Amino acid sequence: MSETSEHAARLLSAYQAQEKRFVERRFPLSFAPEVPALRELYSQAKGLRWNPETDIAWDRFDPSRYAKATCEAARRTWSRRAWSVYPGMTESTALLIRFCLESGSIGMDAKLFLSFRPSEEAKHLEVCHVLAERLGGYEPDPGEAGLARVSNQPFAQVALDGDVPVEAYIAALGALDDQLDLNLYVSHLQQSKDETVRTALRLIASDRARHVAFAWGFLDHRVPALDARGRAAVVDAVRDVLANVILAGYRNTWLLPEKSREPWLGAEEETARQGLGASSAAQERGVLRATIAQVRERFAAWKLELPRVEHAELGTI
Amino acid sequence: MLVDKQRAEAYVPEQRYPLPLSSAMPDVWELWQRAKTLEWDPQTDIPWEDLHPERYSAEQLLAAQMYWSRRTWGEYGAISESPALLLRFCVERRLPDLQFFFTMRTMEEGRHAEASWLMAERLGRYFPQPQNPPTAGAVGTHGVRRIAFDPETSLEGIFASLVCAAEEILIDVFKSTVHKATNPAVRRLMELILRDEVRHIAFGWQCLDAWAPSFTPETVRNIEKAVTAMIENVEFRGYRNLWLAIEGGSATPAEIDADRISCEAGLGGNTPEDEMRVFPEFLAKIRKRMAPRGVNLPMFQHPRLGTV
Repeated sequence: MSETSEHAARLLSAYQAQEKRFVERRFPLSFAPEVPALRELYSQAKGLRWNPETDIAWDRFDPSRYAKATCEAARRTWSRRAWSVYPGMTESTALLIRFCLESGSIGMDAKLFLSFRPSEEAKHLEVCHVLAERLGGYEPDPGEAGLARVSNQPFAQVALDGDVPVEAYIAALGALDDQLDLNLYVSHLQQSKDETVRTALRLIASDRARHVAFAWGFLDHRVPALDARGRAAVVDAVRDVLANVILAGYRNTWLLPEKSREPWLGAEEETARQGLGASSAAQERGVLRATIAQVRERFAAWKLELPRVEHAELGTI
Repeated sequence: MLVDKQRAEAYVPEQRYPLPLSSAMPDVWELWQRAKTLEWDPQTDIPWEDLHPERYSAEQLLAAQMYWSRRTWGEYGAISESPALLLRFCVERRLPDLQFFFTMRTMEEGRHAEASWLMAERLGRYFPQPQNPPTAGAVGTHGVRRIAFDPETSLEGIFASLVCAAEEILIDVFKSTVHKATNPAVRRLMELILRDEVRHIAFGWQCLDAWAPSFTPETVRNIEKAVTAMIENVEFRGYRNLWLAIEGGSATPAEIDADRISCEAGLGGNTPEDEMRVFPEFLAKIRKRMAPRGVNLPMFQHPRLGTV
């Protein structure tokens, strides 16, 4: 058995063991809306569907207008972005399965929404790949152990982990990480000058905004009913992902260990300067701080306090 | 949530790189591209104003409500179970074409479930469960999630059983009965579902055909076993059509007869005569298609269909 297939077998066995811990109760299978806000997001997803192939004016995208070094930088930036989009396909699929296993016959609003989301992630992935290709070639491997490690998070397994309350998972990955991701896309959009890149970023951000709205809408529905243990799990999960994933450079290259930052950080700076779909480290720093403040404020509405987190470079956040 | 568990090695470390994204199966890539251009919305793309439930008898409406409710439960399996296959594609690092396409398939199946539920609702009532819940085991699950996560079950076998067998018979019956759906709203819904499902089946066969040169005798045995199990344990237990259930389960006569009455009213469904005709043709077709790959499906005994 090759190393790859041996690893696949281990991972599948892990999913299998997780799945067996649940007892799915399928009937009575309720389909009527329970949380109208979530059903509305599903309706919006259907109404606002788009196609990367036809809704982005690729024929107007002319990489020859840019210096070779700029294209090289931008292809790296969009490749790195593709790696960060890819896990979303499995994570949202795993979350859909978790909902089906755990909530059984209820929770259809979330299930319908999540049945849609992997296809949206796939469209985002296609956009990142096409842009990287047109800018000189998609890079399939970071080729650097630190970056590979930080971006190889087991969140799909966490989604199927019965010990992790689904509210905690959605708070950490949806309300914090997706929110940060959305805010970064909006920042990249604000910095971008290229018309095609702007369209791509706007379309992705519009989907991302729905994903974030889903997380907040779901939490709004569920958090008020949580007991003390459930509330603590939510806070712990968010703090954990913030301290150990986000601040380790999961979304922001400038937060990676110093030896893992290049050539990616330089590439993002050049991509941002030329308006091809990135933000500078300084701009991203502002987005990160604003996002954490935003999450903290919204949590406060549920009387949940997100503890301060220490970071070697950023200080207390 | 994460760090403690990672330290305790509760999660298997992910290894995603290298992460190829270029298409390597052009036919499957084309299906992904087509799927994006053919999206539809059950709320807005069905001529609901032409449904006119008031034109049908109470018996016809009840049958159609039962038929579309059971379709909803069946389609729900594709939300609850078959998405596990996408995880498997990613874990096994299958070609990106498969991964991209399958995201659309999950979304489309969700759409079919929603559309079937809406149809039952707008015909007067959606039934959230079988009349005698014990039949739930027979009509509620095809067990794909569990086998998708089983490293001992080959992906080829799952494809052959779920996509090339279970979905194929569903669509063969749809194709042969869509003309009987005289109600414009029902007809349109069946056409739209059919359009999606044709892509799903094409996907299954394209994958099997592409993998066939590397089939080992064990792969072939796996496929034979998986398809046989799908026919005997799922189809012949009434997952799709209760009339086919060999042991009958605890389905009520009204449930068993619902497909026929609904079909005869032009509201979707099919008759036992349709099954008698289509099921043997379907089996002959997949037998013929799989034979060149060395896959030999056994003959099946069914009390009403005979030896098929």
